[in-house]
Amino acid sequence: MSAPPRPRLAALAIAVGLVLADSSIVVLALPQIYRELDTSVAGVTWVLVSFNLVMALAAVPAAHLARRIGPGRAAAIGLAVFAGAGVACGLSEQLGTLVAARCVQALGGAAAVTAVLELLPAAVGSERRAVAVWATAGATGAALGPALGGLLTELVSWQSIFLIQAPIAIAAGIPVLAVARHEASTAVVSAELRRTGRPHLLANAALALVSSAIAAALFLLVLLLIEGWRLSPIGAAIVVSAMPLAALLGSRIGPRAGSERARAAAGAILVAGGLGGLALLPNANVALTLPPQVLVGVGLALVLSALTETALMGRAPQAIHGGWTISARHAGVAVGLIVLTPVFTHDIAQQRHDAIDAATAVVLDGRVDPLLKLRLAQRLEQRLEGEKGKVPTIGPAFEPLPSDPGDRADLVRLRGELQDQLDRAATHAFSPSFGLGALLGILALIPIGLARRVEL
Amino acid sequence: MNPRSRGGALVAAAVVASLALVLAYLAAGGASYEPAQAQNPCEQRPWRETEGLQELAEQFSLSALDGAACKLGVSRETLARALATPASRERFARRYGLSDADVARAVRAGLLRAVDEAERAGALSPLLAAPLRATLRRIPIEQAIELIQNAESLLDSLQSFLGPAGGLIEQFLP
Repeated sequence: MSAPPRPRLAALAIAVGLVLADSSIVVLALPQIYRELDTSVAGVTWVLVSFNLVMALAAVPAAHLARRIGPGRAAAIGLAVFAGAGVACGLSEQLGTLVAARCVQALGGAAAVTAVLELLPAAVGSERRAVAVWATAGATGAALGPALGGLLTELVSWQSIFLIQAPIAIAAGIPVLAVARHEASTAVVSAELRRTGRPHLLANAALALVSSAIAAALFLLVLLLIEGWRLSPIGAAIVVSAMPLAALLGSRIGPRAGSERARAAAGAILVAGGLGGLALLPNANVALTLPPQVLVGVGLALVLSALTETALMGRAPQAIHGGWTISARHAGVAVGLIVLTPVFTHDIAQQRHDAIDAATAVVLDGRVDPLLKLRLAQRLEQRLEGEKGKVPTIGPAFEPLPSDPGDRADLVRLRGELQDQLDRAATHAFSPSFGLGALLGILALIPIGLARRVEL
Repeated sequence: MNPRSRGGALVAAAVVASLALVLAYLAAGGASYEPAQAQNPCEQRPWRETEGLQELAEQFSLSALDGAACKLGVSRETLARALATPASRERFARRYGLSDADVARAVRAGLLRAVDEAERAGALSPLLAAPLRATLRRIPIEQAIELIQNAESLLDSLQSFLGPAGGLIEQFLP
């Protein structure tokens, strides 16, 4: 009648991980989408914002739908819509169509994720375990998303990120179909008639704040690596994979380490500390992003699972309360991106200007042949004009290097100094936004602290 | 250890790890890792020690750029990029609402300031400075820009202008 528990459990966890990875999987592809679809940084952010915003708005209504038509059917329909919209995303040639398809994808995702929460207790045997599996799958998906997206972007294309999701969603939906067929032959569960309890406001508020901070960490770090430090998507994917690896480590710190409140507080502090580290990077070295990423990764695993468990435990029906947590998380991500985007686009524009001035000063004060200097200044000007709004690549302005060994050495030194100024500017441009992210993480401590007295 | 103590230890560990990271990055210069700020072109920079005509010409150009930038209210670096090509000059003039005459006046003022500074630094003899000022006051914009970019040609022309005495120029250089 239905799939054996273990494959069904795996399918349900994959469905949750897949959908929640989608809120961040596209992060590493954004620079490529930005170039291919010829849009702005603020425009391309909507590929992320639209998905998270629709997830936030649709999660609770989708949970109600799941209760009305049955979680099996809701999950199956949700996964089918998610897969179909993913194909549409992959075939999009304009930003508008891509954003529209992302909205539809989020509708399907919201239905699938909230419905799965109603299906999990039967697969794992207890509500508590179901909540833990659901929260861990979601946190793992969100943390793994950027690295997977980066690998696919580099090895295949940004379109492949969406196209590959369709068969995975369909495969995850097969065991769910058996449940859906069973629901069709029986009356819809009586749970829908039960009264829906009030959502855990403080846990959901903390989830929203901490999700904003995590979105800042993922989104900004990827942009810094690719657009600021000029790493390839695969290089950036390798670097940011430190975060999910640390999250896996953090997910092993279970309830034995402390209460939900203690784990949530420790997680929020680590997320804020990691973002604080990213705001204070002492130079443009990828290795220096690793310790902050470890803190954010461990922190996100701790805080997301602890807050989700707090928001769901003892509250029925699970789908509705799960819907509230999804809504809070994605609203946090969307609001975080909406608030941070103007901050860092302004900072990038300002720092680009300062970087160009600093780079020109390096050329003007450099000890190289004045005619070489003049030629260099003209080439730099052409490169700066050719890369409107972006941190320029200055290497080609120095090609070909002069044959005279003295001039060559001078020019290589000058190129190094110039690159240093650009790296400083790019890194510095992201500092205020990372700092703002850290502040959001610290703010999450307020509802976490209040929750102890008021609701836990 | 009871669950409450374990929770407290977990939070304390998180605080210590976060503070350690932030303090370590601060100590390593994280708060000051930013691009160099452009210097105010109206403030006089020290005249760099020069050797030969080429280096003098370069120092002269930089000083002239400072003077012109100060007159226009932009950084020396912005002006240097603006004067790199005719197209960049046009963009610059459009952006700052300047006419060709405004740019010409500023560039001439810059060149004159460079002559003053070179003379003050003892890098240019008063014998050369006077005819140079007279020439610069009448020079067309295109040539003025060319001079600001490569003052060596100016000093070369001056050498030709002085004819047989031109060889003396080198003797006036430090």
